[in-house]
Amino acid sequence: MKFPRVQTVLTVIAAVIPLALLAILLFLGSYAWPAIRFNGLGFLFKLTWNLGNLYANPVTVAGQVVPRGAQYGILVFIAGTLLSSAIALLLAVPLSIGIAVFLTEAVGGTLRELLSFVVELLAGVPSVVYGLWGYAVLIPLVAHQIGPFLRSALGFLPVFAGSVGSGYGLLTAGLVLALMVVPIIASTLRDALLHVPIPLKEGAYALGATHHEVVREVMLPAVRSNLVAASILGLGRALGETMAVLMVSGGALNYLPHNIYSPVTTMAAFILSQLDSALTDPTGMAVRSLAEIAVVLFLISLLVNLVARLLIWQTERRSRVAHG
Amino acid sequence: MLAPSAPAIPADGIQLDRGALSAQHLQVFYGRKQALFDVDIDLTPHTVNALIGPSGCGKTTFLRAINRLHDLTPEARVEGKILLDGIDIYDRSIDPVDLRRRVGMVFQKPNPFPTMSVVDNVTAGLRLTGVRHRGKLQEAAERALVQAALWDEVKDRLRQPALRLSGGQQQRLCIARALAVEPEVLLMDEPTSALDPQSTARIEDLLGSLKQQVTVIIVTHNMQQAARISDTTAFFLAGSLVELGPTDAIFTNPSDPRTEAYVTGRFG
Ligand SMILES: Nc1ncnc2c1ncn2[C@@H]1O[C@H](COP(=O)(O)OP(=O)(O)OP(=O)(O)O)[C@@H](O)[C@H]1O
Ligand SMILES: [Mg+2]
Repeated sequence: MKFPRVQTVLTVIAAVIPLALLAILLFLGSYAWPAIRFNGLGFLFKLTWNLGNLYANPVTVAGQVVPRGAQYGILVFIAGTLLSSAIALLLAVPLSIGIAVFLTEAVGGTLRELLSFVVELLAGVPSVVYGLWGYAVLIPLVAHQIGPFLRSALGFLPVFAGSVGSGYGLLTAGLVLALMVVPIIASTLRDALLHVPIPLKEGAYALGATHHEVVREVMLPAVRSNLVAASILGLGRALGETMAVLMVSGGALNYLPHNIYSPVTTMAAFILSQLDSALTDPTGMAVRSLAEIAVVLFLISLLVNLVARLLIWQTERRSRVAHG
Repeated sequence: MLAPSAPAIPADGIQLDRGALSAQHLQVFYGRKQALFDVDIDLTPHTVNALIGPSGCGKTTFLRAINRLHDLTPEARVEGKILLDGIDIYDRSIDPVDLRRRVGMVFQKPNPFPTMSVVDNVTAGLRLTGVRHRGKLQEAAERALVQAALWDEVKDRLRQPALRLSGGQQQRLCIARALAVEPEVLLMDEPTSALDPQSTARIEDLLGSLKQQVTVIIVTHNMQQAARISDTTAFFLAGSLVELGPTDAIFTNPSDPRTEAYVTGRFG
């Protein structure tokens, strides 16, 4: 009698989350609708973001009232978002694996607990703190040390060649984001490694595996799907990060990055930084276009998560545990 | 301590055959708790040796001393000697990694590597030793799978994930995995306790031929199984070796009343 009711309640609670997601998407979509009509697909592929002449009389284009000369293209911000997040993940994944393995295999007892606690604390540090640190420490470091070093060591690759610039840019944004997602990935992976079944590890040891080989051949493969999941969690944070990126990315407008030191703007940071000026647009089209950026960002995150799910399902299906 | 009545290693200690194992004054502690008390034992190469005794008497503890798996447990401490082919495996000069290639182990629950295919499971040990040659690996895999009486069942699904196999097949896969590195001693800790009667029978059948390659030490709670498969039986009680002798003698005419009580089912 009581059981089905509990189940109903749980089902309703569980349904709230996807419904809320859908509601947000619907709200954003309908708010951005005039912009979606006006901008068309070009929104995603144009480089120029121009609010137009806010003082002249608006004109009507495609049934929408917009400032004269207004043009909204966000390719620059899409590129900035994806590239900075990609750099972040490229740096953070190996580092996180190293930290997680260190925490589970190299230290034990209270030291492990203490260090793990520190890592988890880092995951909770407000992003503006990371941003400030990036501004104060990383920017001069990238401008004077890391940038010149990369250019001289890897300059034969076009991405690392050219002007190192002022330190504001893609590389610094990627570094700050990497630092923000390392604690997320590392602590998730640490938990997964701690839960690798002891008989599995002992099976490898009993076969003459060294500690190193047990980690490499048995433990890390066993947590593959956890690594994918954790990386996507991190990627989600990197894609949506606003404040910290805004403080170190240099704010590129209307041009694509030409090397790893170029200033960039991410979608989230752009929304935040442009809200004030967009609000001065009497037609409202600028704000609605910002909302359209939010829709795109939302869809990208959704897509990333779907792909991750598929990857996890696949790795899990290939090694489905039929616990005998 | 009762004198073992099994045939002992020749007194001069020169043993051409591999797989001679003996323990001398072996004691194992977990922290301050002592789990094995002064165990002396001598096992002949190429025999199947059953370890019996009530739960918690130290059988697993004894097995794990032989391949130094206790090294992985910080609170475990081993004293005394275990001689493999006359050399103390706890000597400083012995690398536990090398030792474990000579002393294979099969666990109570099948534990194949879940992310590897059937054939990769079998060759895992060889690949760890640096064998890369595909032909050699393939050959070794087939030989080990034949030895483990699994070849016919898996020869068409070598590339499939190991976890697709049944529990009994997985356990034989683990036996094949242990055999592939050609150990001298094979430790088996209740290898059939999680299996159905048919799988159990297949593994029991296999032991008779395995002893041509290895010295088998098998823990079992099943008295009939011990009687069926082993040449020698050792009875442990509360961390001590009570009696070691030819299996016939242990089951029909034990010299210690506690052994008799146990094998006739009066306790344990
Ligand atoms: N890691 C450990 N830490 C502390 N005590 C342990 C540990 N492992 C085993 N023991 C204790 O040592 C004793 C012997 O254990 P062992 O596992 O060798 O028994 P067993 O004969 O294999 O029993 P079973 O038939 O139930 O498998 C038991 O009292 C057990 O509680
Ligand atoms: Mg046991």
